Amino acid sequence: MFINPTRFIRANHRTSWNPKKKKAREEEGTKLASLPSLQARRLSVLTAKMLTVSVKWQKKVFEGIEIDVTLPPYVFKAQLYDLTGVPPERQKIMVKGGLLKDDADWSAIGVKDGQKLMMMGTADEIVKAPEKAIVFAEDLPEEEQATNLGYSAGLVNLGNTCYMNSTVQCLKSVPELKAALSNYSLAGRSNDVDQTSHMLTVATRELFSDLDKSVNAVSPSQFWMVLRKKYPQFSQLQNGMHMQQDAEECWTQLLYTLSQSLKAPTSSEDSDAVKALFGVNLRSRLHCQESGEESSETESVYSLKCHISHEVNHLHEGLKHGLKGELEKTSPALGRSALYLKESLIDSLPRYLTVQFVRFFWKRETNQKAKILRKVDYPLELDIYDLCSEDLRKKLEAPRQKLRDEEGKKLGLQTSAKSSAKDSDVKMTDAEASSHGSGESSTVTPQEGASSEKETHMTGIYDLVSVLTHKGRSADSGHYVAWVKQESGKWIQYDDDHPSLQREEDITKLSGGGDWHMAYIIMYKARFVSM
Amino acid sequence: MAPTPDPNSVGGGAKQDEATVKVPSKDPKKKDEKKEEDLSEEDLELKQNLELYVERVQDPNPELQRAALESMRQEIRASTSSMTSVPKPLKFLRPHYGTLKAFHETMADSELKKYLSDILSVLALTMSAEGERESLRYRLIGTEGDIGSWGHEYVRNLAGEIAQEFTKRQSEKAHIDDLMELVQQIVAFHMKHNAETEAVDLLMDVEDLNQLLEHVDKTNFKRTCNYLTSAAKYLPGPDDMFVLDISYMIYMKFEEYPNALQIALFLDNTPYVKQVFTSCADLLRKKQFCYMIARHGITFDLDDEMVADDDDREALQDIVNNTKLSEGYLTLARDIEVMEAKTPEDIYKAHLLDGRASSGASADSARQNLSATFVNAFVNAGFGQDKLMTVPSDSTTGSSGNWLFKNKEHGKTSAAASLGMIQLWDVDSGLAQLDKYFHSNDNPIIAGALLGVGIVNCGIKNDCDPALALLGDYIDNEDSSVRIGAIMGLGIAYAGSQNDQIRSKLSPILNDAKAPLDVIAFASLSLGMIYVGSCNEEVAQSIIFALMDRSEAELGDALTRFLPLGLGLLYLGKQESVEATAEVSKTFNEKIRKYCDMTLLSCAYAGTGNVLKVQDLLAQCGEHLEKGDIHQGPAVLGLAMVAMSEELGIDMEIRSLERMLQYGEQNIRRAVPLALGLLCISNPKVTVMDTLSRLSHDTDSEVAMAAIISLGLIGAGTNNARIAGMLRNLSSYYYKDASLLFCVRIAQGLVHMGKGLLTLSPFHSERFLLSPTALAGIVTLLHACLDMKPIILGKYHYVLYFLVLAMQPRMMLTVDKDLKPLSVPVRVGQAVDVVGQAGRPKTITGFQTHSTPVLLAAGERAELATDKYIPLSPILEGFVILKENPDYREE
Repeated sequence: MFINPTRFIRANHRTSWNPKKKKAREEEGTKLASLPSLQARRLSVLTAKMLTVSVKWQKKVFEGIEIDVTLPPYVFKAQLYDLTGVPPERQKIMVKGGLLKDDADWSAIGVKDGQKLMMMGTADEIVKAPEKAIVFAEDLPEEEQATNLGYSAGLVNLGNTCYMNSTVQCLKSVPELKAALSNYSLAGRSNDVDQTSHMLTVATRELFSDLDKSVNAVSPSQFWMVLRKKYPQFSQLQNGMHMQQDAEECWTQLLYTLSQSLKAPTSSEDSDAVKALFGVNLRSRLHCQESGEESSETESVYSLKCHISHEVNHLHEGLKHGLKGELEKTSPALGRSALYLKESLIDSLPRYLTVQFVRFFWKRETNQKAKILRKVDYPLELDIYDLCSEDLRKKLEAPRQKLRDEEGKKLGLQTSAKSSAKDSDVKMTDAEASSHGSGESSTVTPQEGASSEKETHMTGIYDLVSVLTHKGRSADSGHYVAWVKQESGKWIQYDDDHPSLQREEDITKLSGGGDWHMAYIIMYKARFVSM
Repeated sequence: MAPTPDPNSVGGGAKQDEATVKVPSKDPKKKDEKKEEDLSEEDLELKQNLELYVERVQDPNPELQRAALESMRQEIRASTSSMTSVPKPLKFLRPHYGTLKAFHETMADSELKKYLSDILSVLALTMSAEGERESLRYRLIGTEGDIGSWGHEYVRNLAGEIAQEFTKRQSEKAHIDDLMELVQQIVAFHMKHNAETEAVDLLMDVEDLNQLLEHVDKTNFKRTCNYLTSAAKYLPGPDDMFVLDISYMIYMKFEEYPNALQIALFLDNTPYVKQVFTSCADLLRKKQFCYMIARHGITFDLDDEMVADDDDREALQDIVNNTKLSEGYLTLARDIEVMEAKTPEDIYKAHLLDGRASSGASADSARQNLSATFVNAFVNAGFGQDKLMTVPSDSTTGSSGNWLFKNKEHGKTSAAASLGMIQLWDVDSGLAQLDKYFHSNDNPIIAGALLGVGIVNCGIKNDCDPALALLGDYIDNEDSSVRIGAIMGLGIAYAGSQNDQIRSKLSPILNDAKAPLDVIAFASLSLGMIYVGSCNEEVAQSIIFALMDRSEAELGDALTRFLPLGLGLLYLGKQESVEATAEVSKTFNEKIRKYCDMTLLSCAYAGTGNVLKVQDLLAQCGEHLEKGDIHQGPAVLGLAMVAMSEELGIDMEIRSLERMLQYGEQNIRRAVPLALGLLCISNPKVTVMDTLSRLSHDTDSEVAMAAIISLGLIGAGTNNARIAGMLRNLSSYYYKDASLLFCVRIAQGLVHMGKGLLTLSPFHSERFLLSPTALAGIVTLLHACLDMKPIILGKYHYVLYFLVLAMQPRMMLTVDKDLKPLSVPVRVGQAVDVVGQAGRPKTITGFQTHSTPVLLAAGERAELATDKYIPLSPILEGFVILKENPDYREE
């Protein structure tokens, strides 16, 4: 009996449900509505137990659907299944007071003839959770969140320790130093390193790794304790508080300690990691004006000084200034001490060139440290070619030519597409690209463990990577802040425990001349070219 | 005119009185003498004549007396036309006022005495000392009849004195019949002479507005009613209701049914609404009424008395049920060409920020995805398509297919519910889209689907009650998140419906000892919404018992605030009706007592502009409290709720909130931005914008969060470029603080809500009517924002969806008699206040001509730019049916 009505509807227009023909059915919707309704009504008159209702489903209305009230509503749903393709168990038919149950009694529901019913339900696939659970940043362990952030955490100020915090942040930006530290272990400790140096090295290593892992600011208390132990001058107290110290001193001392402890046990000169990274070899020519005698000497320093005088407006001028000096020395010819002119030139280049602006000096008249506020510009890209010695210049020639070529190509001056593609590939891979260059040029083998095959060449061109600034009028007060370029190319200002993003153009504005932060120590990274 | 010291010249009332006190009558006399030489011949002659008359009046010969009085009267009448100075005859007669007065005393009662009384009455206009009311005194003993012949100024002065006399006599309980007679004359005079406002003022003073009905005619009833309705805002209850009653009757008298309906809706008076329907025979006009009711968002069932024909009634009921809202909204969207779905990134516009936005994180952040879910839902609200949720599931390439699962736990609830928001008002497709989520085995998703069903049905009624049928079964689900989804869905879908069936389902939850607090809180809210402004006692009882049953610890929970709020919503805008309940609330545990007090008070007087309540609330805010009390938050919100009804109140409130920022405690400062947001909702005033922008950088992060959300609220649905810019900068400023960033994102979503086609303002019909459900939705969100951390930033972020109650297209869509969209030119401009202005003043300024459908911003008004059609409603907002103008001729 229940098949009857469904077949009846089918017979009328011979369309059974087919989801692909949705559109076609929609067009037919009107036909469907009008045609059977008349006949259906007639039928309902014949059998009193039949009800005719219309059912609204989505935007369509199916009119003239018959309900046999003697049969359970499931039968009605089967009818609708035929019309809509929604399986009965997914159909939700709204009747007064709720949903139509499969086994409900029609008489109890009170459906009237001609009533409009509403049906909800689709044959759509039920949503399933993706097989692979989605990982949310909030659920990640802290260290991964840190990498997500794109930069590492700040350091808590332990009471006038901004000089130390900013120094640590600047040095931490040298990945090679980090790598060297992570290879450092007790076993590798050479005998000539004393206990405190060892402790400081370990503390530095721990602090660096803590910073990388953490999202929130790290407290450098352990490091600070060890630092004060090794260098008691940092423990000076003033009014019960630890005094503000000179960041340069901290920087130098820390680097010195690291260079001592990171020396490979074989203690060959080359394996001094710190020196390889930061050391600048200077060849100085001493000229005694009185006797006219000349001598030359070489020395190795960790940073260049930028002397600031009235003529100095730019870093370059300051550096030149700093490489010239006068000193009193016993002259063998005169037999007494005489004034010598000293002119230095760079003999070998470091991977990281540190420049210190000599802003603080001892003012004799007032017996106190004073600060030079003069504005000294520094570039984001530094070329120190003309500060190099003749030998070095020669070595630099070829790589510089290559660099220029590459840059020219980059700017669209390619001659042949084929070669340029190759070249730019090389350029991209930069330090990693392997090439068997001639040994004549200045070659730097990156780090101790690097394979001899990989040879990259210094170009004498450096990119700014970090700036340590001082803000304030005097040397014993004010505030030190580190500005560090991340691997992503973004600049981060580390103001103790508060790192914040900065724009690159703001970095060059730290050149002094006012009360804003001004650069005190800046660090450049060498640009390499592979040949 | 030379600046003659005529302190008594223009105007009645205080100015005149004050001047008379300062300048005794002798003083001007001296000056007059000084000036005598300056007088022209003409004036001199007039002066001498008048002096002669004064002498003659005192003559024993009655004939001479009569002639003199007559001449004097002629002179005065002939010259009262000027408004800027005292008429010459009055000026010259002034020195003789005392003489004439004295003579008047001595005269025997006669016709002549009456004549003299008339003249003295006029002279008293400039001479009488303050409070003497001599003009009125002489008037009453003078001749009866034509008072208008003495000029407007005289009548106006008289009206002022009557008002004073009336209050005096009323306190003495003296009879007032003679006054009323005079009043009648004056009113008739005013109404004839375009001075409706004065007539209304006088009648209000003597408390006899009923008289107005006799005097209004076709030419002046509009201005009269306009004045009455706007004056109602400033009248104390119950006068305001009475005034509106009168204007309803006037509108009915002149068959201005749409206006009458507006007032009926304002009064929330169902018999009046019915009367409008039964009085009007035109089906098309009835359709327009239905559109107006639909916009107001109340549930209204038509019966056969109102509309006889079954088919017609069904068609009209369809309009009331808002079934065509989605269609109209989409017509607007297509016309403005904003159908293209927008992604959250289109809204954030991160590329405009210089490199400050954090680098592309490798893992999905649940919080950022959640905010994207909300932004997506708000921006694409009602458009039926978006780029996150409605992407066809078969294109599982890429991440978009499974956006739902990019949300975590309770986040999935909001994500699934966002589908309801996207399909807003389109019940058929919305239910079809949501269906598949019902079969999920993940409880938060089911909860979201339930909530989504509620959202889709928001403001739409349907005979089949799909929301109730679908949600009903889940109310007693064992999972409390599913329960909340169903309960909240019902609250949104049936807000304002007063549906008993739902009450019988929800009330037991309130008093179920086993139900968790959050379920109870949401049940209370939903009941409050469904019975908003109904003063339903049974619901109130249930909530009160639920509040009393709460333990000390539960009372401290942030969600508990929804219990008193649900109670308050029952009395939304119902003023005194709240008193009994407010009395009961005094017995509550002290932890919640004051909070409940403030909530009830603020809800009951919401939108009334009641100054006394504003003062009460201000007093509460002025106290400096011990720690722990939280009732000042709702008090501050209450200030905004009470004052939000009219422009003056809003301006005053904004100023006093500024004070509170400076002197208030921290818990007050946190609520101030929210109050500002409510006052200027979807109406970005620059001053408020600046204040909020300043607060968005506040050191207290809660203040900053509230300010950011409020920036979103005041810009909601406006696409305001300035706010968008501010928020963009805030997003980079707060990029590290997940909570604040979430607020910024939500605010961004709100500003671009419905791609700028929606408004959140609960006021409509030229800011006259306040939709109770819309206000309920906003207030609920604001109360939730008083404590962000556990609610919006916690796991109940879906309370943001309560805003859907207030979301309405800010459009003007003209339809023809078959209700098909019809494009006609309209002028849209800044609305001008024309209350009390004579003639037919321009109602808009700085207009531009568009063709419908058009968007209307806050404070804008539209008028037809063609005579071809006549709108069936004078309020050109929402759906407006146009009728062809039979007198129109093509040029």
